[in-house]
Amino acid sequence: MAPSAPSITSTMSARATTPRPSSYRCKSEKRGMIYNIMLVGQSGLGRRTFLNTLCEREVIPSAEAPNPDTANVADPMKFDTYEVNLEEDGTRISLSVIDAAGFGDGLDNTSCFKQLQDYIEAQFDEVLVEESRIKRNRRYRDHRLHALIYFIAPTGHSLRELDIELIRRLGEYVNIIPAIGRADSLTVEELQTFKQNVMRDIDFYKLPIYNFCWDESDSEALKENRDIMDFLPFSVVTCDEVLDNEYGLVRVRRYPWGTIEIDDESQCDFVLLRYILLNSHIADLINYTEEVLYENYRTKKLEVGGFAEGEGDDEDAEDDDDDDNVPQSARKPE
Amino acid sequence: MSAPDATGSAKSQASAGGIGIANLPNQLHKIVTKKGTNFSLMVVGESGTGKTTFINTLLTTELIEPLDDASRRKKQLDKTVDINIHKAELEEKMFSVKLNVVDTPGFGDYVDNNDCWLPVVDFIENQYEQYLRQEQQPVRKGIVDMRVHACLYFIRPNGHTLKPLDVRAMKAIGARVNLIPIIAKADTLSPAALRQFKKRVMDVIDAQSIRIYQPPVDSEDENTMQRNKDIISAMPFAIIGSDREVKTADGRCVKGRLYPWGVAEVENDQHCDFKKLRSLLIRTHMLDLISTTEEVHYDKYRTTQMKTRKFGEPKLKKNDNKKFREEEEALRARFTEKVKLEENRFRQWEQRLIAERDRLNKDLEQEHNLVKQLESEIEAIANSGSPNGKFFRK
Repeated sequence: MAPSAPSITSTMSARATTPRPSSYRCKSEKRGMIYNIMLVGQSGLGRRTFLNTLCEREVIPSAEAPNPDTANVADPMKFDTYEVNLEEDGTRISLSVIDAAGFGDGLDNTSCFKQLQDYIEAQFDEVLVEESRIKRNRRYRDHRLHALIYFIAPTGHSLRELDIELIRRLGEYVNIIPAIGRADSLTVEELQTFKQNVMRDIDFYKLPIYNFCWDESDSEALKENRDIMDFLPFSVVTCDEVLDNEYGLVRVRRYPWGTIEIDDESQCDFVLLRYILLNSHIADLINYTEEVLYENYRTKKLEVGGFAEGEGDDEDAEDDDDDDNVPQSARKPE
Repeated sequence: MSAPDATGSAKSQASAGGIGIANLPNQLHKIVTKKGTNFSLMVVGESGTGKTTFINTLLTTELIEPLDDASRRKKQLDKTVDINIHKAELEEKMFSVKLNVVDTPGFGDYVDNNDCWLPVVDFIENQYEQYLRQEQQPVRKGIVDMRVHACLYFIRPNGHTLKPLDVRAMKAIGARVNLIPIIAKADTLSPAALRQFKKRVMDVIDAQSIRIYQPPVDSEDENTMQRNKDIISAMPFAIIGSDREVKTADGRCVKGRLYPWGVAEVENDQHCDFKKLRSLLIRTHMLDLISTTEEVHYDKYRTTQMKTRKFGEPKLKKNDNKKFREEEEALRARFTEKVKLEENRFRQWEQRLIAERDRLNKDLEQEHNLVKQLESEIEAIANSGSPNGKFFRK
């Protein structure tokens, strides 16, 4: 399990001693903790540069020049997976990042939500199947999404229909963390107003974003989490170049009117988001996915019935003789 | 200045007065100054691209008020593109301009943005139509000219290329009006990224045959020519908008955006192209925009319309919209059904009438026969020699 990490250590070490439900997790120490996140947002909001800045190296090469002759047709959505091995404060993380390219870029984007939902459900289904196998695959890698970072366009006003629909549809399958892409187009005032408007909209439409305060048992962590939630949505500015000045290497973004230091917390929330994602809340996010989101999905799936090994299709829901299909090992977990 | 040739005779040199043709521009100047002019500007783009701020910055006055939360939420629900017109009258040094700004809230803001440029295109064409009809009236005095002279299209600075929505919309709009593409909120692109984005946008505009406004370059004045060339090379214009004054690091008070890392100045050519665009729209090319609209775009519309319509006839409404076609089909089906029903009813009625008539005719015949019978009996009695017969004999 995760060894002690700075500041929010109390929660981490407490959780470290509670046994995890899935037994195959025990071997994680050698490989690194399995952690899957997805980046979703319209093109141009900085998803790819965010990943590169997060991992401190160029994981995704910058896109090649688009073909002007095909600019009138949108590219279909695709899911590109990038695997990175990180070491964060002594913990090894086997990070798998899925970039959902093409979301919201077309004229009619109604099919984008279904594609995302199908993808996330497919990962759940895989685990469902795997869990119920008689002979489990020892080298099986869990692909369930532990966090989804959604990049909101910095309009400065409030949430758009695309944003609302996405969070509404996917919030029950994955932890959604809203972030503002290209936050350097908003002044300090505008950023405050925008953050407030977004949170107001989230309350108004009752959108299911990840609730940092879901675990009410630890009161200390609860207070810290409430403070963190004041920063939502996190403003993201990504690194353009690395300067070498008298303080060492600094990651910056340079403009004719000034230079932004990415790692300066007063200028953007990148550092905070990174810390949450890879350090303080990694266990929380994984736990919530496994204990709540996955369990809810599983219950729903099995209640409907007709779950056959190897297929996770809801279309077969009418099928009642699942006794024949699901093998001997326990249908319900412990 | 020589007087015009008269039947091949030698040109007469300018005498002290000439005949005064050279004074025509001054007269025109007086006329125009008195009349003022009318300018319509349209802003199109997704919400949050800075259209309202740009207009307010351009006119240095808050012409358009920003929407508040509640109205924005309501707008999200109705999924339509509105056309809002704001009117203002600007006056500078005794010259007045009646300015119309057309705003298009709701454009490109929804999940399904198919055909969202149709209301914009329809609006532009309707203005041409209105003008055409007014021109054809017997009394042409108070013509209201709302023809759009320039359309500013705000492109989101995503750093890659134009979106399919931008391509389709710009194509449709550029064919009908002077289209000026603008990179909105350009202060999120670094100078290198901005250059690359501009080039990519222009590549797409060329490849997709999108027609944009090309200001004329040639001029008598070398400076003006250079300035025009600068303007053209800066397209699409990268814009930062701000309607408030801030203090820079070196103490100047400028219109700009205050960031923790510096001040992006609106009127600084190193930071954005606002001054060039303002010059294009107002200072140097406003009249060219107006005349291109009248001579090229409006004329094209007029020609196509007049070829197919008679003088004074109203415009045919052709609705290519899928939704409308379905409705039309549905209505037509209902109509034919109703007609069929009515026809059936009438037919039945007719048959009933015929049956009634036949019945009555038959009765009539029966009576007739009865009468005939009685008559023949009378005859018989009259002709027989019986003593009663004399009553019947006449």
